[in-house]
Amino acid sequence: MKSPVGKIIMDCFVIAMAGGVTVTALRWPFKTALFPAAIAFPVFVMAVIDLLWNLFGKQKEGAKGPTGDFKLTEGLDPAVEVRRTVSMFAWVLGFFLIILLVGFTIAIPLFFLLFLRLQGKEGWKMSIGLAAVAWLSFYGLFVWLLNIPFAEGWILRMFSH
Amino acid sequence: MFEAFTQGLLLVLQGKPFLYLLIGAGIGFWVGILPGLGGGATLALMIPFIYKMTPQEALPFLLGMHSVVQTTGDITSILFGIPGEATTVATIVDGHPMAKKGEAGRALGAALMSSLVGAVIGAGFLAISIPIVRPLVLAFGSPEMLMVILLGLTCISTLSGRGKRGLLLGLLSGGIGFLCSLVGQDRQAGILRFTFGQLYLWNGLPMVPVVVGLFAIPEIIDLAVRGTAIAGNATYGKLGKGVLEGIKDTFRHFWLTVRCSILGSFIGILPGLGGGVAQWVSYAHAVQSAKTEEERAQFGQGDVRGVLGPGAANNSKEGAGLIPTVAFGIPASSGMAILLGAFFLLGLVPGPDMLTKHLTLTFSMVWTIVIANIVIVAVSLLFINHIARLTTIRGNLLIPFILLLAFIGAYTSSQHIGDLIVVLLFGGFGYFMVRFGWPRPPFILGFVLGELAETYLYVSTTRYGAAWLLRPKVIIIFVLAVAVALHPFIQQRRLRRGSTKK
Repeated sequence: MKSPVGKIIMDCFVIAMAGGVTVTALRWPFKTALFPAAIAFPVFVMAVIDLLWNLFGKQKEGAKGPTGDFKLTEGLDPAVEVRRTVSMFAWVLGFFLIILLVGFTIAIPLFFLLFLRLQGKEGWKMSIGLAAVAWLSFYGLFVWLLNIPFAEGWILRMFSH
Repeated sequence: MFEAFTQGLLLVLQGKPFLYLLIGAGIGFWVGILPGLGGGATLALMIPFIYKMTPQEALPFLLGMHSVVQTTGDITSILFGIPGEATTVATIVDGHPMAKKGEAGRALGAALMSSLVGAVIGAGFLAISIPIVRPLVLAFGSPEMLMVILLGLTCISTLSGRGKRGLLLGLLSGGIGFLCSLVGQDRQAGILRFTFGQLYLWNGLPMVPVVVGLFAIPEIIDLAVRGTAIAGNATYGKLGKGVLEGIKDTFRHFWLTVRCSILGSFIGILPGLGGGVAQWVSYAHAVQSAKTEEERAQFGQGDVRGVLGPGAANNSKEGAGLIPTVAFGIPASSGMAILLGAFFLLGLVPGPDMLTKHLTLTFSMVWTIVIANIVIVAVSLLFINHIARLTTIRGNLLIPFILLLAFIGAYTSSQHIGDLIVVLLFGGFGYFMVRFGWPRPPFILGFVLGELAETYLYVSTTRYGAAWLLRPKVIIIFVLAVAVALHPFIQQRRLRRGSTKK
């Protein structure tokens, strides 16, 4: 995934985005279009330069990545790395979908139980204990103390109607 | 003047004000630690509680809370790689790699001590500069403010990448940040831009979900990929040991800490810039303090100077941020804008009155910042070993908690399911940015300051046409930005020449 192909796709995405903004800005009045055009056009040009760099330039420079940012763990078996990455993205997406379906109140203990049992391979005691701690912290702090209204899930809303 | 200064201290140390200060600082402690729950939002939540308080009680309560959130926000940034506050993002860059190396204690010691130094310097700045800053703030018009934003972006773009390619990617990243800030209703003509028919996007992309997604999701993914604790396989003993070392680091690099505190103070007094810029400019300054290319390469890998700079600056700007708020009624940040609202609720009118009639109260604010930070740093240092040990908990046990904090923190932003979608989208984008070596800090700077930059550009162009480009101060700041961009290349050339001569 660290091959220039990924970088090229990233550049193409930015070129499309900046190009889209530039073209769209042309349809707006001057005061609305001024800043978008002033930013999007240089971004478009820079992304094209980076694309050309990726296609024809030396891959050595900048290959070590940025100095002021964190780096992903290296040295793992690529197959394991990809499997774990995809699996974790799926869990993140899964948590979101559970929240969407049943709301935060039910989703939190449910996600904790599922994640700790299936992904973490933890025992029932630990999983139930942590799920309870998470739910109590969530409910005590955000619902009871801060009074933040949390949306009901689609399923619950369907039943309540 | 001196009498008012000492009376300000005595005022804070009275029974009730001191108690309210402690309560406020206690709330600020937890608010700072919880990612996404911002100091500004909590200030707003606390305002209903001050109705029955006197100004002498309410200000220590509110300021005590607001002035320590950056201090404890650094703790979350270092331990989990999630910004405890939007203003503590820069601490992640070197603080979190230190935690990963098993140096969480050292990073926390350095962050807390530099925060204290920063807070004291910022408060001192507030005390001494009130009569001086008025002409400076008033001399900066929209064109100069726009150039200051560009200077900040150039600083961070130059220093977050290596060589020409690094500069290009940094500027690109900042540009994308600006583009993302375009989403929402345009403030000049009311035209909807890139809202895709969604009411949720009318106010633009909310900052907290974007920041949480961009920084938290890649960390969570990486933690799962690694399959270990945040501190890898580091042992307990190794973690706690460094606290004293971290405190010593603050004094070992004392002038860097002081310089970054002063930088933070200067940025803090410029309305609208605040912690978002202060932390990155001071981080950039810390990187620039590296004498060799090898030394510079250590930044981002866990260099303690990368913790000291932002740690000091994000606290010093709090005290300094009060200057325009108190003296001119110009809030320097969103938190200060809320505080300004509290002033009016308490019957205080910012302006000359605060520097004459209520001078004791103004100085009590200086003391509140100092005392609240001393108390919180002392409490944090006392329990730092327990806090640092959080990083040795197995990743699989931590991941659901961090993910929960990220989702809830983002959701509290506008309490809309769209917040979670933004977290997912920017989480994915942030992961690929890290994957392909695009620096994220310039993106955040561009995104946070996009709206402000647009306003400044519009006002400058409408008022002066293209002539604003020729204003002397604009030219000076522009030359400074170019110099900042060229500095690494000149330094590199000098080093090369030096090594050839040897």
